[in-house]
Amino acid sequence: MSEEPLLTVEGLTTEFTTDNGVLTAVDGIDFEIERGETLCLVGESGSGKTVASESITRIVPTPPGEVTGSVTFDGQEIISMSESELKEIRGGRIAHVFQNPQDALNHCYTVGWQIVEAIQTHEPNTSKQEARERAVGLLNDVGVANAAARLDDYPHEFSGGQKQRVMIAMALVTNPDLLIADEPTTALDVTVQAQILNLLEELQEEYNMSILFVTHDLGVVAGIADQVVVMYAGKVMERGGVHEIFDEPSHPYTRALLECLPGKSRSAEGIPGSLPSPISPPDGCRFAPRCDYAVEECRAGDQPPEEPLSESHAVSCVHYQQGYDPAVIREEVVQEDGATTGGVSSD
Amino acid sequence: MGMEWYIVRRVAWAAIVTFIIVSVTWGLMAAAPNPEVQKAATQAAMDGEDPAAAADLARQRAQLDRPLHERFMDYVVGVYTLNWGWSSTRNQPVTQALIESLHYTVQYSVPWTILTVLIGPLVGLYSAANQYSWKDHAATGFAFFGYAIPNFFFGIILLLLFGVQLRWIPIVYNTDVAVFSVENAIQLSVPIFVLVTGSIGAIMRVSRNESAEYTNADFVKTAKAKGVSTYRIYFRHVLRPTMVPLSTTIVGYLLALFTGSSLLVEVVFGIPGLGRTLYDAVIAQDTSLVLGSVLFFTFVATIGNLIQDMVYTVLDPRISFEDR
Repeated sequence: MSEEPLLTVEGLTTEFTTDNGVLTAVDGIDFEIERGETLCLVGESGSGKTVASESITRIVPTPPGEVTGSVTFDGQEIISMSESELKEIRGGRIAHVFQNPQDALNHCYTVGWQIVEAIQTHEPNTSKQEARERAVGLLNDVGVANAAARLDDYPHEFSGGQKQRVMIAMALVTNPDLLIADEPTTALDVTVQAQILNLLEELQEEYNMSILFVTHDLGVVAGIADQVVVMYAGKVMERGGVHEIFDEPSHPYTRALLECLPGKSRSAEGIPGSLPSPISPPDGCRFAPRCDYAVEECRAGDQPPEEPLSESHAVSCVHYQQGYDPAVIREEVVQEDGATTGGVSSD
Repeated sequence: MGMEWYIVRRVAWAAIVTFIIVSVTWGLMAAAPNPEVQKAATQAAMDGEDPAAAADLARQRAQLDRPLHERFMDYVVGVYTLNWGWSSTRNQPVTQALIESLHYTVQYSVPWTILTVLIGPLVGLYSAANQYSWKDHAATGFAFFGYAIPNFFFGIILLLLFGVQLRWIPIVYNTDVAVFSVENAIQLSVPIFVLVTGSIGAIMRVSRNESAEYTNADFVKTAKAKGVSTYRIYFRHVLRPTMVPLSTTIVGYLLALFTGSSLLVEVVFGIPGLGRTLYDAVIAQDTSLVLGSVLFFTFVATIGNLIQDMVYTVLDPRISFEDR
């Protein structure tokens, strides 16, 4: 496609001023989302993926947070927009669904009231009656049974999965171009997870949306992603198409994550060590302190620049730079576990 | 079923509670020596007559020679038929005395309560919205000043300033002016100010803490992500859930102030309201009037708690009425 991407993020940085110093949650990340495509932002808890997703429309609290860099949405630079301009985009062309449906709806208002609020925020001329009718239609669309009767129920009268459906319905009111879904299935049990993921895929088709999907669950990624960005400690480690990431994982961190999947070599023990401090990150590659293949060069300077492996695949690792042999990383894994490849499910 | 049935049961409990309080009050009064009888005996002794005979006569006159259960029944019937006895110091029925006092108490209590209920939660919300900034510290400082300084002492200071030095308000409340007049508004503004500053401290503190909690709630993030304006987020999504726990604090705190601090403020400013009436009745040992005043405050407290419980159930839709 020669069309420009729907969303282009360049050098997105989010810092929080705390009593202990400046905490850099997201440290200059880049990615692009094409129209109708699903991009998964992957990483373990604390890697900055949620903050990154909430920095795009600046719903992270500012202050203490500060968002810099460039976010171009449909040709418009939105990072420098005023609050009132951004309000039009939030819930208008870019909608959000959050991780914990239990608390994401206000317990003092009926779900109908909250959906009507979303509609009337962006279309003040819509009458309440009209908005309610549309809310019923949306609830039907997201699979809430008996929608008309449930409109005046309070959130606590819905199950977790139903609440997430309500959240999705609320996100769809303005027919958004981009849906940012931050771990929308993490708090749900497995059967409900699958239903919600299927629903999102159906709706993506129906509404022709792009989805930015934030998750730590590689199983989910395999099911829904077109593109994958692997984040660690606020930096991008590796990016690529979903098949490239699963078939040719190149960064030691990506490989370690994949090895943590059930039935794989690390599924029991995980990756040793923990995330570095976001206030004083280590020199060199952020992952070097936990990396099995780290050499001296990995621990100096800044995060290594991304080395392109194909048109869509790139990795930020010293071993892929000139003068190094990436086989160090790849071979050992193959020896250890020949079945690493082919992780993408056909579903 | 549901809410209506809950309210019916709650009202029934309120009636039972008042009955218990009425009974206990009566028991304490019956057990205590009667000042009328003592007075008669002392008088007789001074006049050289038989104190015991005079005491018996006084007891008969006060109908204390009748059996306890008859006196109790009479008393209970009297309480619920608003026949609360005769005030010996004011020479009028107790109910009449209380109604006359209430006339003055209402004049400052109504504006004071309204101002507190409006300002208290809003100051807390404002503080939470500007948490840890100088605005927050200023609002908190103001609220804590009013909370910390004793109402009667603050009243005396202001009376010295505005009454004695500046002569803007009368030193003793002037009962001759009309209720809805500028003079009345001016002379009541200082006691109202004292009570408002005294009451918003506690309310503001709870409101600030609850609001601060909800400011970071996920549903506020949802509202922000929907594109809802900041103003609307604070008033609709933060203040509304804050009011649920706050309503408990407000009613409880206002009742405590109404029964406690208003007495001191009335004495300081010379307002002949309920608090002042109770105070004078205690000093003068006017038993019936003391009992009447106590009963009145009891009823106010019971009804206040009843209203609080109902407000609570209306404000928080998650509360179930089924098993309560």
